Amino acid sequence: MSVALQEPGLVEAPRPVRRRAVWQVVRRRPSAAIGLTVLVAIIVVALLAPLIAPYGLHEEVGPVFGHPSWSHPLGLDDGGVDMVTLLMWGARISLVVGFAATLVSMLVGGAIGVLAGYFGRWVDVVLMRITDYFIAIPDVPLMIVVAAIWGPSLFHIIMVIGLLLWTSTARVIRAQVKSVRERVYVQRARSIGAGHVRIIFRHVLPQIAPLLIANTVLTIAVAIFDETALAFLGLGDPSRISLGKVIENAFQRTAVSSGAWWAIVPPGALVALLILSCSLIAQALEDALNPRLRVAHLSARRFRLRPLVGRGSEAV
Amino acid sequence: MRRAALALLLVLALLAAGCGGSKKSSSKGEVKEGGTLRLGTSSRIDSLNPFVAFNQDAYTTFMYIYPFLVQYDRNLHFAPDFATKWETSQDGKTWTFHTRPNAKWSDGKPLTAADAAFTINTDVKYQKTTAANAAGLIAHIKNATAPDANTLVIHYEAPVGNVLGQMQQLAILPKHVWEKQAANKGKNLKSFPNAAPIVSGGAFQLTKFKKDEIALFKRNPNFYGPKPHIEGFGLRMFSNDDAMISALKAHELDAIESVPPTAIATVKKAGFVVTQVPAVTENDFIFNSNPKKTAHRELLNPKLREAFEHAINREKITHVVWLDTAKPGASIIPPATGSWHNADVKPASFDIALANKQLDALGYKRGAGGIRVADGHKMSYAVITPNDLTGVDRTFQIIQADFKKIGVNLTQKSLDSSAAFDAITAPDGKYLNFDLALWDWVPLIDPDFMLSVVTCDQYNGWSDTGYCDKAYDAMYAKQGTTLDQDERKLIVHQMQEKLARDRPYIFLNYESWISAHSKGWDGFVSSPQGPFNSLSKQSLTEVHRVS
Amino acid sequence: MRGADYVIKRTGFAVVTVLVAVTLNFILFRLAPGSAVSNLSRVPHATQETRNALKRQFGLDKSRGEQYVLYLRELVHGNLGVSFQNSQPVWKNLKSDLANTIPMVLLGTVFSIVLGTLTGVIAAWRRGTAVEHASVTTALAFYSMPTHWLALMLVILFAGWFPSGGMVDDFLIDPTWFQHVKDVLHHMTLPALTLALVLYGQYTLIVRSAMLETLGEDYILTARAKGLRPWTIVRRHALRNALLPISTLIALSLGYIVAGAILIETVFSWPGIGRGVYQAVIARDYPMLQGAFLVLTLSVVFFNLVADLIYFKLDPRITA
Repeated sequence: MSVALQEPGLVEAPRPVRRRAVWQVVRRRPSAAIGLTVLVAIIVVALLAPLIAPYGLHEEVGPVFGHPSWSHPLGLDDGGVDMVTLLMWGARISLVVGFAATLVSMLVGGAIGVLAGYFGRWVDVVLMRITDYFIAIPDVPLMIVVAAIWGPSLFHIIMVIGLLLWTSTARVIRAQVKSVRERVYVQRARSIGAGHVRIIFRHVLPQIAPLLIANTVLTIAVAIFDETALAFLGLGDPSRISLGKVIENAFQRTAVSSGAWWAIVPPGALVALLILSCSLIAQALEDALNPRLRVAHLSARRFRLRPLVGRGSEAV
Repeated sequence: MRRAALALLLVLALLAAGCGGSKKSSSKGEVKEGGTLRLGTSSRIDSLNPFVAFNQDAYTTFMYIYPFLVQYDRNLHFAPDFATKWETSQDGKTWTFHTRPNAKWSDGKPLTAADAAFTINTDVKYQKTTAANAAGLIAHIKNATAPDANTLVIHYEAPVGNVLGQMQQLAILPKHVWEKQAANKGKNLKSFPNAAPIVSGGAFQLTKFKKDEIALFKRNPNFYGPKPHIEGFGLRMFSNDDAMISALKAHELDAIESVPPTAIATVKKAGFVVTQVPAVTENDFIFNSNPKKTAHRELLNPKLREAFEHAINREKITHVVWLDTAKPGASIIPPATGSWHNADVKPASFDIALANKQLDALGYKRGAGGIRVADGHKMSYAVITPNDLTGVDRTFQIIQADFKKIGVNLTQKSLDSSAAFDAITAPDGKYLNFDLALWDWVPLIDPDFMLSVVTCDQYNGWSDTGYCDKAYDAMYAKQGTTLDQDERKLIVHQMQEKLARDRPYIFLNYESWISAHSKGWDGFVSSPQGPFNSLSKQSLTEVHRVS
Repeated sequence: MRGADYVIKRTGFAVVTVLVAVTLNFILFRLAPGSAVSNLSRVPHATQETRNALKRQFGLDKSRGEQYVLYLRELVHGNLGVSFQNSQPVWKNLKSDLANTIPMVLLGTVFSIVLGTLTGVIAAWRRGTAVEHASVTTALAFYSMPTHWLALMLVILFAGWFPSGGMVDDFLIDPTWFQHVKDVLHHMTLPALTLALVLYGQYTLIVRSAMLETLGEDYILTARAKGLRPWTIVRRHALRNALLPISTLIALSLGYIVAGAILIETVFSWPGIGRGVYQAVIARDYPMLQGAFLVLTLSVVFFNLVADLIYFKLDPRITA
């Protein structure tokens, strides 16, 4: 499933925000803070995996589907390998794919969104049509086809995922850039002869940064999900153990009917946790940046018009 | 999916050890007539049209719904099916089969030798186009005639040694249904859906078929052979083993075709009978043996190949991947074929130190990162692996880890079967590009087929090694025309020894066929192809409930 | 004329999208390594002639350009080609696959809408409380779970209560219509539930947002001051506002869901279009793949168009 959590058309363009606002949002809302903490924790563990993994990645330390025990709290997989080790190493590859694919997606989507939003007119029309074509293509089937046909190397997987995820980024960015473009200070900069590139980098990008971050985080989540889906269908890179591959191995070797739940539940739970953390962060940002959601006259506690972030004229 | 399922599977797998020691099924308790047997499979019936189908389960379906001239009995000797007896002419070019009198198709029309003649002639006529599937079966046949309703005469262009083996795989189709499909230059042969309910001449009739879901069979009242105990059976197709085993445990099924090794303990614990029989399926490690290959020619060196074999830990692979249900082996002809197997061809020992010594002696010094250097390049090779081969990833990992210890770096190139085969034969069937691969084979009982895949003229046909050796080809031709069985066996044994020396393949192990059924049923005829096989109609005609 | 203009423009664009997607699909498949012919022609004694005959039969011997033109021509006549796997018309295969997928997907979507709306309303109503956080977090948690993993969890949890695979109990001989429906629903429960759990989160968030937007308006304050009960306010005003984004979301999701059902169908051995596409890929069945993609693209484009039109009709603020 890759329908973006936020339908781009429904998000209103926010008023100008300061860079620190993002960090303030995260600090103030517990869900976002938790999300960020968990995400960072998993990233750190994954980075340190070669140093802190308790056993070897291909080391057979017990029987196939060995039960959880004190020395192996999450049991063993279908090759007799320790599950905790697998999870640490698996998280590495999953995160690599997630970040790399997102990078591809951001670059492509960002470029297209900025160009379309900034230059407008026929550039906008052409680029948006191309974007709409890509949206219309059913992505999971296309990913399957490309991965099956072009070969399941990590590089191909990253490219395939990245080249299908950029569309939501492009749309969001375009909307933001369009609104920012009309701002007074941009007009002023144009009138004193500032070049397009300078305006884009100095004035436009900083304004769209918060929503861009929200979109990036969401894209990472979707990329990780897509990788597990591809791995599950047997199209992952077999020489790299990602979390998706761990689930697929267990599934193919009848873990469920053999009762080896520990081979399936933990890797999937870890993926869910990763995606959830990203979603919480993105959700919090989205909430904070959408000014309409602050007041609710029906709730038990009456809300005053209290800005969520910042004071006075900087209120968000 | 094994290669067997992909290829035109005319596989005849034999039981262990020739004509003795076969497992006879004994009925314990009383035979309860009637009932419907619910079978589960994780493979599929890809088509009901014999000119289109590739998958094994489709061929097994045909075995049960169509008459065949002969079938295998449980000792792997040829036994009558639709033909009761047969003779050959002196020159071996004319075969006469006497078929059962007064037989009928399920729709009441008479089933005679004319149907058999029609089928054979249609196959011969269109063997280059729409009937290509059957081309191997009717090789060298000029034509077939039915001088009367119970006599079939087949005329061959040249004497052929394995006529019965071929006829065992030829499904006889009802002339009155297929005649019109064969019109229009046979163009409609492949597009005819042959949908259920199918006019049947075998033990069962296919009454319902839903693609990838279910095939339901009911007893054919007009069957000329022994009446089955069951009223019917159903083959339920699952997309994965897990779902199938869950269904078995939930008693939604009575038997399953094959049990993955990891599930044996679970299935046994749930109270089912698990049968394990040596199969002919063998897994192999492939060297590109094209003498004309351009790159990495050090891999053609038999001494290097021997060193590589010493670095392959067959025991570990058998243990981890197959949970000890397979047996390590080295010869291209597996033991399950009986006396054709040359037991003197033994696997080389797993000895990393020896492998290192041998590679050192060949002058391949270690370079950066501990990887040896040969002819100026690193000994780093890609291994092509088909992604539907059971346990291929684990097998590769085990081999890769051990090869690191001898200074050879392996990388995995996982492709699906058709892409894998293309990569092996690239470019354009010249076998110039690839170095190594992993795959499997499901040989026939008669060794002719398996020995043929490494002949020169199987380039772009069955060959996945590019092996081409004139001396070998001469031996192959000789065994094909040697009528004395003992002499022929000798040659076959010698061929196995030659292949073991040249090593186009390093065979890893021979698998077992593991199937399971509930205690409430008995009478399955076990075979290397499982209880539901295309060797004979016996398994499902004899299966019955027990009280 | 603004209205008609917009409709025509959007519809025209939709048609062009389909054409472009079809062309791109064609190019993608034909450029791929691993041809179907090599698979199909691996029969014993397959001579070069046999291979050529197979190529001719499937039209693979012509130039790519010719194949493309042929394909388009056949398409106009409603002929999607013949599957390589079972030599049957592609449309026939697709029809039976779709007929299996659609009911399951619809049931799942209905579950998710109901569940999502309920939790969304509760979350908006109880804004700022723990209930809201729990509701939103749970919705996000389920949304974050990989579909196939959640499916396996449900299988493990409900083993014995619900069948773990298949669409019907095929050994139920000659069931009455009622028995048959009951059987199908029984089998459909877990797959539809999986779909529902994974998707409902979106509805929760959308409903919550939409409601919060409305609930912040002054006229709501007035209504409350006038003494209207909260539920009446919700029903009459807030939910109405949510109707627009919900309909849009439904339309958009329906377009994608059919494609996304691949994972669920694999776990549950559900004989639908997802499984069909997967098998076609493995077998390099180009006609099936092109046909399936065409159908899926059409459904996405169609539902996107519907979503656009709904949005246009219901939201007077949008101009063409």
